[in-house]
Amino acid sequence: MANSEKKPEAPDKIPETKMSESEKIKFAEERADRVERATRMAEERARAAKRKAGSPESATSDDSGKTSDESAIAKEKTLSHYNAIQRFRTRTYKVFIVIFLSLISLVVLYPLIYAVSAAFSPGRSISATSIIPFGGGFTAKHFERLFTETNYLIWFKNTLIIAAGTSLSTVLVCSLSAYVFSRFRFVFKKSMMLALLILQIFPSFIGMIAIYVILLRIGGLDSLWGMVLIYLAGNIPYNTWLVKSYMDSIPRAYDEAARIDGASSARTFFSIILPQAKPIITFLAIVSFTGPWMEFIFAKLILRSNENQTLALGLFSFVTDRKNEFTLFCAGAIIVAIPFVVFFVITQKVLVSSLAGAGVKE
Amino acid sequence: MFTMNRDGSSRKKIFLASLLFMGLAHLTFLKQYVKGAIFALIEIVVLLMSPHIVRTIVGMITLGDPKPGLTVFEKDHSMFMLIDGIIIVAVLFVFISLYAISVRGAMSTYKDYCALGQLPSNRRILTELSTKAFPVTALSPLVVLILFFVVVPLVFSACVAFTNYSSPAHIPPNNTVDWVGFDNFKTLFGGNETWTGALGRVAAWTLVWATAATVTCYAGGMLMAVIMHETKLKISPFFRTIFILPYAVPAVVSMLVWQNLLNGSFGTINRTLIELGWMTQATTIPWLSDATLAKFTCVLINLWAGFPYFMLLTMGSMTAISKETFEAARIDGASRFQVFKSITLPSVIYQTMPLIIMSFTHNINNFGAIFFLTGGNPVVADSTTTSAKGTDIVVTWIYNLTLNLQKYHYAAVLAVCIFVVLAPFAIFNFRRTKSYKEGEL
Repeated sequence: MANSEKKPEAPDKIPETKMSESEKIKFAEERADRVERATRMAEERARAAKRKAGSPESATSDDSGKTSDESAIAKEKTLSHYNAIQRFRTRTYKVFIVIFLSLISLVVLYPLIYAVSAAFSPGRSISATSIIPFGGGFTAKHFERLFTETNYLIWFKNTLIIAAGTSLSTVLVCSLSAYVFSRFRFVFKKSMMLALLILQIFPSFIGMIAIYVILLRIGGLDSLWGMVLIYLAGNIPYNTWLVKSYMDSIPRAYDEAARIDGASSARTFFSIILPQAKPIITFLAIVSFTGPWMEFIFAKLILRSNENQTLALGLFSFVTDRKNEFTLFCAGAIIVAIPFVVFFVITQKVLVSSLAGAGVKE
Repeated sequence: MFTMNRDGSSRKKIFLASLLFMGLAHLTFLKQYVKGAIFALIEIVVLLMSPHIVRTIVGMITLGDPKPGLTVFEKDHSMFMLIDGIIIVAVLFVFISLYAISVRGAMSTYKDYCALGQLPSNRRILTELSTKAFPVTALSPLVVLILFFVVVPLVFSACVAFTNYSSPAHIPPNNTVDWVGFDNFKTLFGGNETWTGALGRVAAWTLVWATAATVTCYAGGMLMAVIMHETKLKISPFFRTIFILPYAVPAVVSMLVWQNLLNGSFGTINRTLIELGWMTQATTIPWLSDATLAKFTCVLINLWAGFPYFMLLTMGSMTAISKETFEAARIDGASRFQVFKSITLPSVIYQTMPLIIMSFTHNINNFGAIFFLTGGNPVVADSTTTSAKGTDIVVTWIYNLTLNLQKYHYAAVLAVCIFVVLAPFAIFNFRRTKSYKEGEL
């Protein structure tokens, strides 16, 4: 039903496939009701427009303050007085809202600004930093130390390899499987999809001991590809479903045309379906790329040697009890966080629609 | 010798042949030599491996014997035996599935034969094989990975719940592990006062935490979204950009920053409050070191980190509500609050319901928010025995039990509990999926 409000033509087709008689009748009634409501609304809108043109009074409820309305208001003195009060009210309301939003912004920004200031302030632990952001002087020595005294670059490189590997393999495996689930019929299809859905809710670290032993058996302990395997397996259940539901919405006519032209299944997938599914593939690539950057549990369990540490482990080691290098931690953290922040700020519009889409689609 | 009747009377014969040996019916009656040979080869491999298979399964049942005389490397490693056993069971499961597929294939070929009067030509078999080869190859990475990295670990975890795999007396390879039935469940659910108390405390806090975290983030996110949507300020996009920052910054980073800011003695927040003269050095607020206050702090900081997600979500859902609905309501004389109460709220809740459920399950498993903010601290009375601290939720407790105390058996019991608690949510979400509603599944 959530879809019906977005594109009413889609549910109109459904009743022909599977619906009992009573449901059909109910559906037809609903449709008639909707049509009636729409006409009523149109009439009312027309009436409202007429009213608006005739008497400016009704326009006062519209706080957007259109110029044509304002010129009409100016004609009537008493009305303009009334309107002024209204506008004053709206304005105080708006000022109040802006103050409220600014206060929230302060709370939201407080730790972030503080972290940035700590990254540039002298001293090591948090007790040495000034309570006023940027109040204790300015230094870039933490960044210098990060690259000279710690293995920051190695951690960064390792994390990048793991993230890129995870992203690439997740896209490949999930989209291929989703394509098969969406287009082919085969035995055990239902049970496999149901299994994926149930497995999807368990965090993978519930089985961490077993994963450890399995990696031990195949020689994947303390290796980057072992991490990629773990993350990939954890990504598969949910994302296969996600991509599959998107692929279901790609018309089958495309594949059939390709098949008639003699394309193989693989060819159809790579040159027809994959380009069509680009939005969800991009989303999947990004999500699976960002995930490993800050994953901690498996990294801690699997990666033991110094040259195989990741950023999350390294940064965490700065602020554990033995070493209290909060400023160094902040310096390292903002280098990672800045690309994330920039990316989210740029794509916020897309985020809004894709998050809503995920809600409707599921 | 291997002839069939067209009238369907050879059904039993073919069924028995295909059941007797994998691929036998294909090779003899149906003349599908390639397919039959592949099936037969699979069965031969499995049969050749059968001594090993039997040994492994026996090992899984006995979990090895203590052999005091041997060195560590020669002793039975119970956990390896258990995992190998589970893997073998998984492989056997795949084999049985293949067997079922081969029998079904033979029966359907025979059915076609009865209808058409002839067996499919070699060319048709080959094209059929090549078209079927694609889905099989494409799905095999998924099947292998899911089987070995998701299913086997979960089954292993469930099995460990019924063993005594724990430090100090039952850690392989020095000692063996034994099956103990429901003993661990008994200990945790009423047998041992300390452990039962800890479990009750942690479970209650986990549920309170997940509910509070979801509700506060949802309400907070919706409030911000509605305010910005309703007032239509010109600077709304500016505020929105600020508000998504907590969502953008990785949780590890923001939680560790908060942990330091909230530190009782040298944290910035308390120092600021002292500077402002609102409190003295002696009366600082124990944000993270008082068991009750730390819980409030967790929910509060999680609100900081979690409201942007729901804000974006609500904004997205609100743009999906048609403008006509709002207009009609306003024309009918509805106030802003009425519009919100009767139009925005119901439709947004309806659309985001699955995501609220998902967020609840996510919060039950929200390791990062607790572990990096408080590390489970502060310590309470039973913490030294159970390793469950004041703000530990079930998953962080599992982490402590596994890595610090090495009480794997109790950790496994908790994992099973999570399974039992979360399964209804999975089923609920499943019943809402499009595929389920349209009768595909």
